[in-house]
Amino acid sequence: MAHGAEDGTTESAVAGVKVVPVSTSGLLRIGARPGFLEYLTQIWNHRAFIFYDARARVSSGNRKDRLGSAWMILNPILNGLTFYLIFGLLLNTSRGIENFIGYLIIGVFLFQISARAITNGARSVQSNKAVIQAFNFPRATLPISVNVREILASVPVLITMLVLILIFPPVEDITWRWLLILPALFLQAVFNLGVGLILARMISRINDITHLLSFALRVWMYASAVFFSYERFIDHEVLLTIVQLNPLFNVLDIVRDCVLYATLPSWESWAILSAWAFGALVLGMVFFCKAEESYVRE
Amino acid sequence: MSASREDADGAAGGIGPTVVVNRVSMRYHVPSTEAHQGLPRAGAGGLARRLLGRPPLVPVDALNTLSLVAEHGESIGIVGRNGSGKSTLMRLISGQSNPTRGAVYASSVPVMLGVNAALVPELSGDHNVILGCLAMGMARAEIDDKFASIVELSGLGKAIHLPMRSYSSGMSSRLRFAIAASVDPEILLIDEALNTGDAQFRERSMERMNELRAKAGSVFLVSHSLGTIKEMCTRTLWLDEGDLLMDGDPATVTKAYLDYTRHLTKGNVDSAATIRDEAVSTLVVTEVEHQGPGRRKL
Repeated sequence: MAHGAEDGTTESAVAGVKVVPVSTSGLLRIGARPGFLEYLTQIWNHRAFIFYDARARVSSGNRKDRLGSAWMILNPILNGLTFYLIFGLLLNTSRGIENFIGYLIIGVFLFQISARAITNGARSVQSNKAVIQAFNFPRATLPISVNVREILASVPVLITMLVLILIFPPVEDITWRWLLILPALFLQAVFNLGVGLILARMISRINDITHLLSFALRVWMYASAVFFSYERFIDHEVLLTIVQLNPLFNVLDIVRDCVLYATLPSWESWAILSAWAFGALVLGMVFFCKAEESYVRE
Repeated sequence: MSASREDADGAAGGIGPTVVVNRVSMRYHVPSTEAHQGLPRAGAGGLARRLLGRPPLVPVDALNTLSLVAEHGESIGIVGRNGSGKSTLMRLISGQSNPTRGAVYASSVPVMLGVNAALVPELSGDHNVILGCLAMGMARAEIDDKFASIVELSGLGKAIHLPMRSYSSGMSSRLRFAIAASVDPEILLIDEALNTGDAQFRERSMERMNELRAKAGSVFLVSHSLGTIKEMCTRTLWLDEGDLLMDGDPATVTKAYLDYTRHLTKGNVDSAATIRDEAVSTLVVTEVEHQGPGRRKL
């Protein structure tokens, strides 16, 4: 508005115009968005970057706290304790749930893994502006590396979870079905990455979404039957369907079936979860890639 | 975007342009506290911002429409007062910003040696070195080869093992420089990097920069030191308030620019304006004419 020039030079008196014929066929367009497949190739070529970044940050994650990485495990334990006091003892939501402590531990631990991965993935672009400004690399590597880091960091958390389940009575037997939690957790991680990619692009544009994220996660937690049995509390037909279609609810359901109830998870649970996971990943990659050239702006 | 480098090799072999800047302009929208003085932003957006207590946005034209073709072997110096658009032009060529209009093409990915600091503050210097090199697409073996020389160039000594947030601004820009200078780029952009750090580092960085310059196909150098420009460059651009005023032989351009600033410091606004007009009257504006299909992705 201050300067008028919309197009063309403002100068009135230049000596002349030199027309330079240029063929741009051999040249790269700087800042251009690559094609989707080319983008995937670039990400693959940066896999060393992803793993290095993930590993370096696992160890530096909780350095500010005196107890360091112990918080990764203390956090869900304290959370579970709170829920146990309020919902298990005071409100007595445990009625009708077999092995409520195990039920609660699985819910709280696995929910925390998703909540952390999605929150950190969503912030990954915003919080790495310095690296983005300094180097030219496919930006999707940042949310991917955050999710790899969360997977690495969740290994001790998962081990603690299983140990706690074995400690608290009623004691569960270890069966071959325990192995089935691995594909379930893999699908959960894929889903976290997809959602993280979508949110990372949105937050890089509109920072206000970070404020909404914690509310959304809370609603999601209540809709995932983390510490109560949904059958007992939800009569409403539509709400029930929503809970049953919820990807995290399906993760919890599968893991509880395998670990606590020694039953094979239903194929519907696997189908719903896989659809969410790969749907979110594809949508997230495409959505994130579409704005590739814009993340560099402040 | 290292994966696309193979596209460039065709052009890099022959004598061709290394950088083509085609009708590029840059306009930022920044919040201004100069709210009540005749900038009535009509429309819902302006009203909403006022209600939310956010200052209105004012457009700032950092760079007016400019075209430029850099040939292989050219060293191009850029001079101009603060706010003339020098750094904006460099950021556009390096891909750190995207132009509001127009496009920049290059025969390979340009590498910027800047002075902006801190990469990942919570990681140590050596982790940042590896991370930065990986982000630039280097292989681990290559990084291991160069690691010692990067640390040596940075002159950080034992401090390389400390987290980057504990570094002084001079220390982090030295590290940043050393990382960026570890590749041998075909197109090298240097933004005031000569003035980083203490005397000892300046000497070392000069040495490394001369090496890089000798190998590079094209160099863009922004500096306030006219001596450096005359010494190092084969061609010089003078930018003022976002307009290109002169484009030519370093001695002539730096002399005109020096005259101009001298008149301005003495307060001779009129004679300074005359020098500016004279400079513009000799300017031959470049216009890029596209040949062939090109790789235009818009």
